[in-house]
Amino acid sequence: MKHTRKILSLLLALTLACSLTLVSATAETTAELPRNETLYFAGQQWGSVNGWNPLSDDMNNAMAVTQAAGGSRTIMFETLYMYNMLDGSLKPMIADGDYVWNDAHTEITVKIKPAAKWSDGTPITAQDVAYTFDTNVKLGNAKGNGYKPYVDSVTAVDDKTVLIKAKLTEDGVAVNPLQLICFLEECYVVQKAWIQTLETRCNNDPAAMKKDPGDDVVWSGPYTKYYADDQKVVLIRDDNYWGQDASMWGKLPVPKYIAHVIYADNPAGETALKAGEVDVCQQFIANIQDLWLKDNLPISTYMDKAPYGICVNMPTAWYNLDIPLLQSADVRKAIAMAVDYDAINKNAMTGQSPTFADVPRSCMNPTPGEQAAFDHDAVKDLQWVGNDIEGAKALLDKAGITDSDGDGWREYNGEKITLNACAPNGWTDWMAAMEIVAAAGKGIGIEITTEFPEWSVYQTVVTAAKQTDYDIFMMWTDSATPAQPWGRIRMLMSSEFNGVEGNWSGNWGHYSNPDIDTIIKQIPVETDAAKLKELYTEAVKIYLTDVPSFSLMYRPDKFHAVNESVWTNFPDAEDGRNIPPMDCTDGYSIAALYDLQLVNP
Amino acid sequence: MKNTIRQVFHSPKFLVGFCIFVVILLTIIIYPLINPGNPLQMIGLGTFAKPGTYVSLYDSINTETSTLKLPDADEKRVASALSAEDKVNMVNWFVAAGVSIEGLNVNDTEALIELWKASYDTAVKPSGMTKAMRNYYARLNENINASANAEVLTVTEPDESTGEPVEKAKIAKTDYVNVGDVTNVKTLPLGTDNFGRDTLKELVSACGTSIRIGLIAGTVATLIGLLLGLLGGYLGGVVDDIVMFFTNIFTVIPSFVLLILISNSINQDQRGATTVALVIGLTSWVWTARSVRSQVISLRNRDHVNLSRLSGHSLPRIILTDILPYIASYVVMAFILQVSSGILAEAQLSLLGLGPKTTEVPTLGLMMNWAMLYSAHLNGSWWAYFPVILTIAFISFSLNLMNTGLDQVFNPTLRD
Amino acid sequence: MKGYRKYFGKKILWLVITFIAALLLNFILPRLMPGDPVAAMTAKQAKGLSEASAVKAIYDNYAREFGTNKPITEQFFTYVGNLAHGDMGTSFSQYPRKVSDIISDAILWTICLQFPAIIIGWFLGNLLGALAAYIRKGFDKVLMPLTLFFSSIPAFGMAVILLVVFAINLKVAPISGGYGFDMLPNFSWNFVLSVIQHYQLPFWSIVLVSIGGQAVGMRSMSIYELNADYVKYARFLGIKDKKVVGYVFRNAMLPQVTGLALSIGTMVGGALVAEIIFSYPGLGTTIYQGIAMADYPLISGATLIITIMVLIATFVLDIIYGFIDPRVKAAQFE
Repeated sequence: MKHTRKILSLLLALTLACSLTLVSATAETTAELPRNETLYFAGQQWGSVNGWNPLSDDMNNAMAVTQAAGGSRTIMFETLYMYNMLDGSLKPMIADGDYVWNDAHTEITVKIKPAAKWSDGTPITAQDVAYTFDTNVKLGNAKGNGYKPYVDSVTAVDDKTVLIKAKLTEDGVAVNPLQLICFLEECYVVQKAWIQTLETRCNNDPAAMKKDPGDDVVWSGPYTKYYADDQKVVLIRDDNYWGQDASMWGKLPVPKYIAHVIYADNPAGETALKAGEVDVCQQFIANIQDLWLKDNLPISTYMDKAPYGICVNMPTAWYNLDIPLLQSADVRKAIAMAVDYDAINKNAMTGQSPTFADVPRSCMNPTPGEQAAFDHDAVKDLQWVGNDIEGAKALLDKAGITDSDGDGWREYNGEKITLNACAPNGWTDWMAAMEIVAAAGKGIGIEITTEFPEWSVYQTVVTAAKQTDYDIFMMWTDSATPAQPWGRIRMLMSSEFNGVEGNWSGNWGHYSNPDIDTIIKQIPVETDAAKLKELYTEAVKIYLTDVPSFSLMYRPDKFHAVNESVWTNFPDAEDGRNIPPMDCTDGYSIAALYDLQLVNP
Repeated sequence: MKNTIRQVFHSPKFLVGFCIFVVILLTIIIYPLINPGNPLQMIGLGTFAKPGTYVSLYDSINTETSTLKLPDADEKRVASALSAEDKVNMVNWFVAAGVSIEGLNVNDTEALIELWKASYDTAVKPSGMTKAMRNYYARLNENINASANAEVLTVTEPDESTGEPVEKAKIAKTDYVNVGDVTNVKTLPLGTDNFGRDTLKELVSACGTSIRIGLIAGTVATLIGLLLGLLGGYLGGVVDDIVMFFTNIFTVIPSFVLLILISNSINQDQRGATTVALVIGLTSWVWTARSVRSQVISLRNRDHVNLSRLSGHSLPRIILTDILPYIASYVVMAFILQVSSGILAEAQLSLLGLGPKTTEVPTLGLMMNWAMLYSAHLNGSWWAYFPVILTIAFISFSLNLMNTGLDQVFNPTLRD
Repeated sequence: MKGYRKYFGKKILWLVITFIAALLLNFILPRLMPGDPVAAMTAKQAKGLSEASAVKAIYDNYAREFGTNKPITEQFFTYVGNLAHGDMGTSFSQYPRKVSDIISDAILWTICLQFPAIIIGWFLGNLLGALAAYIRKGFDKVLMPLTLFFSSIPAFGMAVILLVVFAINLKVAPISGGYGFDMLPNFSWNFVLSVIQHYQLPFWSIVLVSIGGQAVGMRSMSIYELNADYVKYARFLGIKDKKVVGYVFRNAMLPQVTGLALSIGTMVGGALVAEIIFSYPGLGTTIYQGIAMADYPLISGATLIITIMVLIATFVLDIIYGFIDPRVKAAQFE
């Protein structure tokens, strides 16, 4: 016993020593972030930060380096324009005034604000924009590869004027003008001088440049890096930010620190939100209304009533058209008709989505802009509401797919039909939706079982050029970007991705229809509004007749919930400021940071 | 043998453990008979309905009513619409909006509501009031306006041909229905889970599956452990070295890591309950093998064994008749422990998402998994996870208790 | 000492052989998992690309860097070679962080959480068991079933219950993380206090469950020893109980010490769930995320570290055992 006591005290000392050595991480920062100067986020950053290099896709730095066509995060690095998904408009950021098309609709000219400056005091020039584009292409990173097919060149006409030329088809028409607009609001502008430092440091090796953590990067945004370890990442306001000039915001953003604690999983982030340790939360929280209805917490979403937020995309169940049975449109439509979408809405989205009775299905998201793009009356008969077991059964019977041996399950060509419905493990709302699809199958006599492989396996199978492992599987569709709803239609039905290995672009069921391919080519270059509406309506008709996939629910791109225990004056649906609910950081929603107020100043 | 069994059943600890286990088994067998149906059927729309009795509102309209004049019914009605805190908040709003509250008695609900209806305006945004607070007041306003005040409510139905509302029933404030008379009443003692499934039914079914998995895993593990322990302990020499080698390796690599890796490498569609049980059994035999082996080593040089060896009995016969009976007690105890740890291992695997397929059968671990994924422990839906934990604890407890009882029977020194 | 030499010689031989076998298993098993992580990494780069050749180029690049395009035997020897330099490779899921960085960040937390938890759980459990054996009567009758029940509660159950009761409802303990959400690591007393505060719930959830197991085992061993002949004899001789008890518990502890070795080895497993539920940084969460992402280098690295820890612990305890218990030495000659 004596020995154990000695050992014990030794170990306790060891423990204390261990916990103190943990501390040797960094020592030049303040001990505590003042709560009323810090805005805490959750749901964006998973896993620790690798660096601050805006040219790399591997930085895993959600707050500082996130470029997306639905709105880039301009906390540290900035884009030419900010996208507002509420009305589809582009607000100038580094750019000065609106962008201008040439008459042939093949080139865009953008001016740069005179006040725009880098953190080292040098002005932002058109050469920076041009050099960033060239570097992206050279490095072959996501933005380079993404825009190379559409942007031919970005050149500096003079120090403050940028000329963006589109890639042209043989007919001299731009391949895709919509993508040029996306380019304006998606891609960061990085300082040419810093890129050149990076090139020297890495001997011009693209792989090395992409791996470089970029600790010495020069930024133009209002915040810069302050602290990062595997528990949290913190950015601090740059009080020399050029945006406080009258030509931009006219003031500095209100919070001094932007912090994101790295939570292990969703429940941890949710608990922190409830405890007031998180101010802005980008996480799906089931039954979020209970937080203020039952728990009386000062938590609110963009809208006080269902659907609580703005839904802009549709998680979709895709049919694998490489499987003979699923090549019958009747079977595809029957299963889609039988699914109980209200159950999905209640169980998977807990009411945070409009129902298909509110917004009948199409290829378009529920936002007014996209809903106005097509003729509703023309497709009314094709839009099914769901949970139509009798209708589905009738359809199957008519198609000759019946239960001939009386075991309760229908056969196809003599064999019992068994399909699997797959979603990645851990994605709870998708898993719940697949369970409901399986239950629908049971109702109409088709055996559907669910499978939830790990995401790493799932993505490998789904993006393969051809696969027979998954029969019905879920994937997302594009959210709101300047290129929608065209982008979504292309993603749902274009045959250009068939046969591509590592296909991340869409049409994972490998549907092929030359008519829709033609429409997809025509839409981006069509300028006549009436003709455009016709094309969109035709696309919806084809989609609802052939049913290569079917939408399961509407979903926001980012979830947006705020806790008003420290900060208030967050954007909401009725305040008239037209700030989208994108967690106060993406696209135009960064305007929210400039209007925040303290609850107890 | 008979004597041993009698002793076993006289041991209080064993008896208690055995009783608990039998009760659980009986529940698993009998409950589905009184409450048949698919345990995985989603009966609720929406997540986590509270435990309680659910009465069909539709049917209660057509049920025979009795008139009860309860003295405090009206008070309760008002109190449920407006709590004391709500009243204080209303006064706060008046103050913040600059409405005069002279002569207002907070307890005079009617006057309060009158003043509210007269002065509330959603457009008013008092400074310093958070959006959440303004949302709260908007909801309060709706509640006040929506609460029915008429003495008699009318239920109407659209007419088949004209679509005009046709009166179907009248509901007076003093109408009450007997719950027993209503056609559709469903009691959900444990509410529903995140999919809207009856939790109690699911729990009972999951219990059965988990125990089955535990039994298979326990059997496999005990058999392997027994075999290896016997061979290694009795034969000694090279065979023993090989057995020890394997045992060491399986000890050194933590069994749970092995379990996770193996489960992960099996594709989800082949991961049925039995497969998972087999995998658990294949990775948890180490402890049994070790203890059997040490027992056999000490038995190896006993007189009766030496005698058999000298008599030229064959190896299997020696093992079966001379060694096995002496270690039987250990084997039984080991089996019980293996079953218990098998159930726990399955629960942990399912919690990590590596358990059996979800649409076939529920298991205790899977129920925990879904509850955790839907943050049941955070939003107060205790019925989704707490009974599961208790069930696992009780099964484990009963098995451990039986084990302790057996231990006392076989080792008289441990008896109290 | 000659006998000891043979004993230790044998032990070291087994240590080496087991280590090599474990190394092989650590390498092979994670690679048996389905799913191609190199494809996963390619995916991140390939978003929006519709040219198959471009995607293939990226894939080949990564495959070359990670050596997954070489035959598996060659990969193994490269792996061992790198290990000798302390290089456990680059993680797939957290590219481009190095595995050794990830593990060294995590392992400190795990050791500081687990090690004391195991030791204290072991110590308290044995104490309770010994007391129960010594005092018997009422103390034993109540304590025994109670500790048995506690040890039957699954580890995750205990963690969840503690979280709900203390952190969410009573609000006396923090909900998650290794240290306060508004703190940055530094040498201040505030920070250390915060670490200790966040340490409590995961710590107790592990301790409470392991006390049960240890107590039961120790109790049986102690009772067995207390009824041995030499104890009765010593008591008859009039030797003070205190002295006798000292010998008794020393004998009873031996199997428990072996048990401790095993516990140290499995410490990560036991805390895996506690780490996940409390969002506590550590080796357990790292392994879990590695498995979810099919990140072979990370899993191999982490399991290798665990393996080494167990081997060292077992070996050290075997040596201590050899010195404590002369019976062991004698048995080696059988």
